[in-house]
Amino acid sequence: MSSPLLDVWEAASASPFHPTVGKQSQLPLGFFLLAISFLLAGVFGLNRSFRNLSLLAVPASLAFGFGAVYMICAVGVYV
Amino acid sequence: MRSITFLASCIAAVSSFAAAELNISQPLLSRQVLPSSFKPPQVFKNANLVRTTMLEKGYARDVINVVIENIDSKPQSEYYVPFETSLLAKVGCFEVRDKKALEKDPFRVEVVAFDEESSTEFYKIHLPVPLEPNQQQVLRISYSVLSSLIPVPAEIGQNEKQYLQYTFSAYVPSAYATEKQKTNVKFPSGDVPDYTKLPTELNSENKPDPQKQGSTFSYGPYENIPAGAEEFVSVRYEFTKPVTHVTQLERDLEVSHWGGNLATEERYWLENRGAHLKGQFSRVEWQKSAYMNPPTAALKALGFPLHSGAVDPYFTDDIGNVSTSRFRPGKKESALELKPRYPIFGGWKYSFRVGWNADLSTYLRKLSTGDSYILRVPFLEGPRQPEGIEYARVQLRVILPEGATNVRYSTSIPLIESSTSMHRTFMDTLGRTSLTLTAINVVDDFRDRGLIVTYDYPWTASFRKPIVITVGMLAIFAATWLIGSIDTSIGKKKAA
Repeated sequence: MSSPLLDVWEAASASPFHPTVGKQSQLPLGFFLLAISFLLAGVFGLNRSFRNLSLLAVPASLAFGFGAVYMICAVGVYV
Repeated sequence: MRSITFLASCIAAVSSFAAAELNISQPLLSRQVLPSSFKPPQVFKNANLVRTTMLEKGYARDVINVVIENIDSKPQSEYYVPFETSLLAKVGCFEVRDKKALEKDPFRVEVVAFDEESSTEFYKIHLPVPLEPNQQQVLRISYSVLSSLIPVPAEIGQNEKQYLQYTFSAYVPSAYATEKQKTNVKFPSGDVPDYTKLPTELNSENKPDPQKQGSTFSYGPYENIPAGAEEFVSVRYEFTKPVTHVTQLERDLEVSHWGGNLATEERYWLENRGAHLKGQFSRVEWQKSAYMNPPTAALKALGFPLHSGAVDPYFTDDIGNVSTSRFRPGKKESALELKPRYPIFGGWKYSFRVGWNADLSTYLRKLSTGDSYILRVPFLEGPRQPEGIEYARVQLRVILPEGATNVRYSTSIPLIESSTSMHRTFMDTLGRTSLTLTAINVVDDFRDRGLIVTYDYPWTASFRKPIVITVGMLAIFAATWLIGSIDTSIGKKKAA
């Protein structure tokens, strides 16, 4: 079968899609990021101030955001 | 400050979605309604026609090789193939190719319907190059007829042979006059106890009709058959194998860019359309025959040849996990061998789901033009059974990542419906773009046919999931700080 899309597929043979983080490293990375976020959240809880909000809470939320995505992939719910 | 940039990218992700416009490259299968007085113009004649009806599997498959000749004075490009309306609903996988260039794309076909009262409908074949007057062309028309094999007798014992009956016209139904034609019927074995014998006068060689040759019968040759002529014959042959009919197959393919995974899930509602069981099922008889492994009309096992790289398979039904399955990963293909919870005898039904994961890198490629991706997956990956499987309805759903736009697809399977919608599942804010394709009357011969989907997926859209969670968490932190800093103490404020 020849179709325009098949030609496009053949033309893209040199660039298969690879995720930034492979399946093997999803669990350690997700765990590491979540651990960091819980640690920072704990430190923030000890001293809640506006300065700590940007210094601790922002990195903690970022680590939780990405950590949660990698963790859910690692346990088999591929989002 | 970093949060602001991320917030901005999050907004960009949402806005790109709002501007999404789905683009479907293939129109829906259309039906053209013509007045009841319509009759295909008699511009062709069939100079020679050979039909091969294959009954080796659990459905009938016809391959017609026909030499058509233009008898009009102008070039013609529309050839009609008639079917009874009741039969048309059972015909699937209708394909027409040039016999001399089989590797080329099949010709464009469409169903032409008349008003409700008309009992004949047509497949209209568009010849890519109009046929000049007095010129000939060889067409190869192939199609499958589903749900047309009737078990006779309708009830058999547990270890008895099963016989199926198939009724068809010895004259190939055609909208044009046929000069010379012949029908070969291929049976799974030579055990054909009953068949219609046609008078020798009809046969152009005055030979007994049909002619037998091993497991192949041939009706004809017949000469100068007018358009629309039919002569029904029946054959009854041994088929001690399950007649597996899938009423509905729902197949989901879920693409995950974050996980680099292609998750496949298939949900089957199948039944055995063979002869019903006479009396009760005897477990003792069944167990006794387990070692001998004689041919049986019951469906005992299903073998799924999966692509290599398939992992984490599961097989469940309404009760839960079915433990009678084996998975053998291999380099060329991974075999998933399933045994249903019970042997499926004629008239019995079974519904189950199977699923597995695979690395996305085999199926997805990135295009050089920006954030576009191309996905190539099999349309059908059902079991490969020697006796064949027919699917009355296949609904394939390709679930693309959240925020994918500009979805285009191409497949060689004739579709009846295609649509794009939203599918909401874990960690979704708006929902993932899902492409739903529906095909009817598909047989397992088409299991290697591919489906190619292209879509745009900007990197801003891919960051939507972590950013939404990040913003949510930050809101909780800010709320804790705000609520914690509210002074709820009683009494005078201390001077700072």
